Amino acid sequence: MEYGVAAIAGALIGQIPIVAWTLVAIAFCALGIMVYVAIRSRTRPVDLEKATQAVRALDIEAFRNLIDPAEEKFLRDNLPPRQFRAIKRQRGWATLIYLWEAGRASTALAGFGQAAQRSSDPEMAAAGLQLTENAFRLRLQTVTAGLHLLPGIVFPTLQGRALPPLLDQYERAADIVFRLGRLSSGGGLTRSESA
Amino acid sequence: MSPMNWYTALSLFLWIAPHVLLGVLAVILYRRRLYREFPCFFAYVLYEIAEFILLFTLHSIPRVTNQQYMYAYTATLLLSIALRFGVIDEVSRDLLRNSKFLKVAARRSLQCLAGLLLGAGVLLAVYAPGASGRWQTGVFVVNRGAAVVQCGLLLALLLFSRFLGLSWRRHGFGIALGLGVLASADLATFALRAALTSRPAVELLNLLITGSYLVYVSIWIGYLLAPEPRPVTLTALPQNEVKTWNTELQRLLGR
Repeated sequence: MEYGVAAIAGALIGQIPIVAWTLVAIAFCALGIMVYVAIRSRTRPVDLEKATQAVRALDIEAFRNLIDPAEEKFLRDNLPPRQFRAIKRQRGWATLIYLWEAGRASTALAGFGQAAQRSSDPEMAAAGLQLTENAFRLRLQTVTAGLHLLPGIVFPTLQGRALPPLLDQYERAADIVFRLGRLSSGGGLTRSESA
Repeated sequence: MSPMNWYTALSLFLWIAPHVLLGVLAVILYRRRLYREFPCFFAYVLYEIAEFILLFTLHSIPRVTNQQYMYAYTATLLLSIALRFGVIDEVSRDLLRNSKFLKVAARRSLQCLAGLLLGAGVLLAVYAPGASGRWQTGVFVVNRGAAVVQCGLLLALLLFSRFLGLSWRRHGFGIALGLGVLASADLATFALRAALTSRPAVELLNLLITGSYLVYVSIWIGYLLAPEPRPVTLTALPQNEVKTWNTELQRLLGR
């Protein structure tokens, strides 16, 4: 090239506004994420054991306790407001972790269902299709429940105003995770009982 | 060879080579009957080859002025952008092909996301209109805005599939990945291109733009040549296990 490196560097640094550099940074981040996803998305064996473990890892009784309105009322009535807010936050975070794990379990189930869909047995393929659909729904519901939880964690005192929808989500999430726990053990066993 | 000749030779190589590879890609798509599954992508590949032939011919004819060349470049670029949106739609349909639930839920979310990204692209065009008032700069700004939308959509598709555990078919994934690389490279280079007026910097950037073509065409060829992996067998799994999981999940979802 007939131009010097210094001329090009000067032009690049001197002419280009911060917006353009920001877009360049965003583009590189996007590229990095795409390459990461491409590398991680290589065919992985479907691990039924992993899916089962993910489900069994959910201690349903503890989760039910965390989202129990009566338990929360008891804490509210018996603790100083400051301590109650701190504990409510901790319980909220713990609930989020449970939802996160339920979401991971549903992702594992989705992988399992999709593998079943490819079975040569039509009955099994159909069951796999249904399983996959349900796992996708479950995954999205855990996200919705998590989003409804967040305001209560950030502002513990807001709970009174947001009670009905929040409770709905709590109950739905509890039901999801409770039944997920049952299906892994077939008899309602929690992790501590089965261990 | 003088330095300028090196530049010319390199630019010509980076301009011609990816389009030769696109020809190879078109043959692969045709011979493997993949044009039936990805008709829009096939049309896009053919269009890119035709566009190259037209622009290269115009570039080689001395009577054609720079402005006439830029008119042709702009017109073909706009159609190319439109076709890329078609390809994104095609790969998203391929990804969601087996799920009735996701076909509705995910596609609605993607449409909302596309609206948001379009808004971001328009805001960028308004608040960062480029280095000068020349219409060529406007073309780069439009391409930059389109790259914002396309890059965002493809990134969302890839992350969404990973988040849900949704499995891609290899060919669809390869097309999405190649297009994602193209969109992110376009976003970076056209963001700079719209702001630059310095000739040496513009020429360096042009090399990068044409060089990035080689990368994404190679990705497409690599993924489309690779055979689809064999389905994972579930021989170790009793059939009633799937049914049990399915029944329980249906129950927990309150159906």
